[in-house]
Order: sequence, then structure tokens, then C-alpha cells
Amino acid sequence: MSEATVTSTLDTSGKCCPMPIVETNKAMKSLTIGDVLEIIATDTGTKKDIPSWCDRTGQTLLSMTEENGAIHYCVRKDR
Amino acid sequence: MKSMVIVMRDDSYDKILTPLVFAYLASAEGTQVDILFVNWAVKALTVEGAASLCMDGQHAADESMVRENVAKAGLPNDIYEILKALKASGCVNLYACSLAGAIFGVNESNLIPEAEGIVGASWFLNDKAAKADHCQYF
Repeated sequence: MSEATVTSTLDTSGKCCPMPIVETNKAMKSLTIGDVLEIIATDTGTKKDIPSWCDRTGQTLLSMTEENGAIHYCVRKDR
Repeated sequence: MKSMVIVMRDDSYDKILTPLVFAYLASAEGTQVDILFVNWAVKALTVEGAASLCMDGQHAADESMVRENVAKAGLPNDIYEILKALKASGCVNLYACSLAGAIFGVNESNLIPEAEGIVGASWFLNDKAAKADHCQYF
């Protein structure tokens, strides 16, 4: 997978369900199609929630990596 | 899920928190959420009632810890603040059940401005619940 250029970063570290999804929805609305949102999360529930959210909303999950207890997602806005 | 109905009957802090969190999540995704407050829960639709909500029974001693951790998770830990956030989402309607209002003294004069009003069960069941994609009862 090619390296994506991150347009905006949302740090939800320390927050738990439902806040990472609530804030991701809000952040995505402010972006334009083609933009890439990086989401940083420490809630392990996001490992299922965010991929599922991408499926439901038609956005593309470009990458998901985990390092030092933080999970980084790159999501491209496609619609 | 395009629409969801929630019916709530309890007014203790911990029991009311879960359905409100579900509504908050659903509304963030654009789901239309209609909530009917019945029985004791209707008191949460008044300023005094919302402020008085606390954890009772065997969990009462944990209230301080729960509120602290709810705030750490990123949520408002005050019920009225959560209701305001739900209303601000533009996707949530709060309704007081007319029978519960009569029982517990909730009326148009003390209803919080975030509530849509006092409604009968017949209207809510037929116009909201029957047409929703999903219904939850707490």
C-alpha cells in the first residue's frame, strides 16, 4: 500500500466508546473527498469499530498500525 | 441504520447512561433517534430531576468513580449535559410520556427546552416505534 499524505489528524487517546467514532464522524465531515484523516486511538474497541464504520460509510481504511499502545488509522474520505 | 427508537424507564444515573450513550453514538452517524421517557425516567427531562440523578442500590458507593471515569472517556458526566449534546446533534428527539408526566409531576412548565414535548403512547408507538429500523427498551 502506498504511503498516504495525511490531511488532518484526530487524536482520541484516552477516550473510550463512543467518543472515537463520534469524533471521527465529526472530523470527516469537515474534510473533502480525497483527504486522508489519521485517527489515533488507545481504545482497543476501535480495532473493530473503525473498520466497521468505514464499511458502513463508504470510506476507505488505508492502514491500521499499532505502536506503544496507540493505534493509528489512516482513512481516506471517498464520499 | 437510519432510525432508532429508545424507550427508557429508569432514572438512576447508571441505568440512564447506557441508552443515552447509544443515542449519542447513533446520532453521530446520522441515525434519527427518538427517545420516549416513561415511568421514573421522565424526571430526567426536568432540570431538577436531571440534577438529582444518582446511582442507587448496590452501586451507590461507586458513583464518584463512575462519573470520574465517564469524564475521562470523553463524555459529559452530567446527564443534563448529555441531553443537551444529544439535542445539539440535530438527530435526537426527546419526548416525555404523558402518563409518566402525570404521575411524576412533569408538565410543559417544567420540561427542559431540549425536549420536544409531552406525547401519548399511541402516537409514539404508531408514528415513531412502528416505523423505526430498530427499537430498544431500557
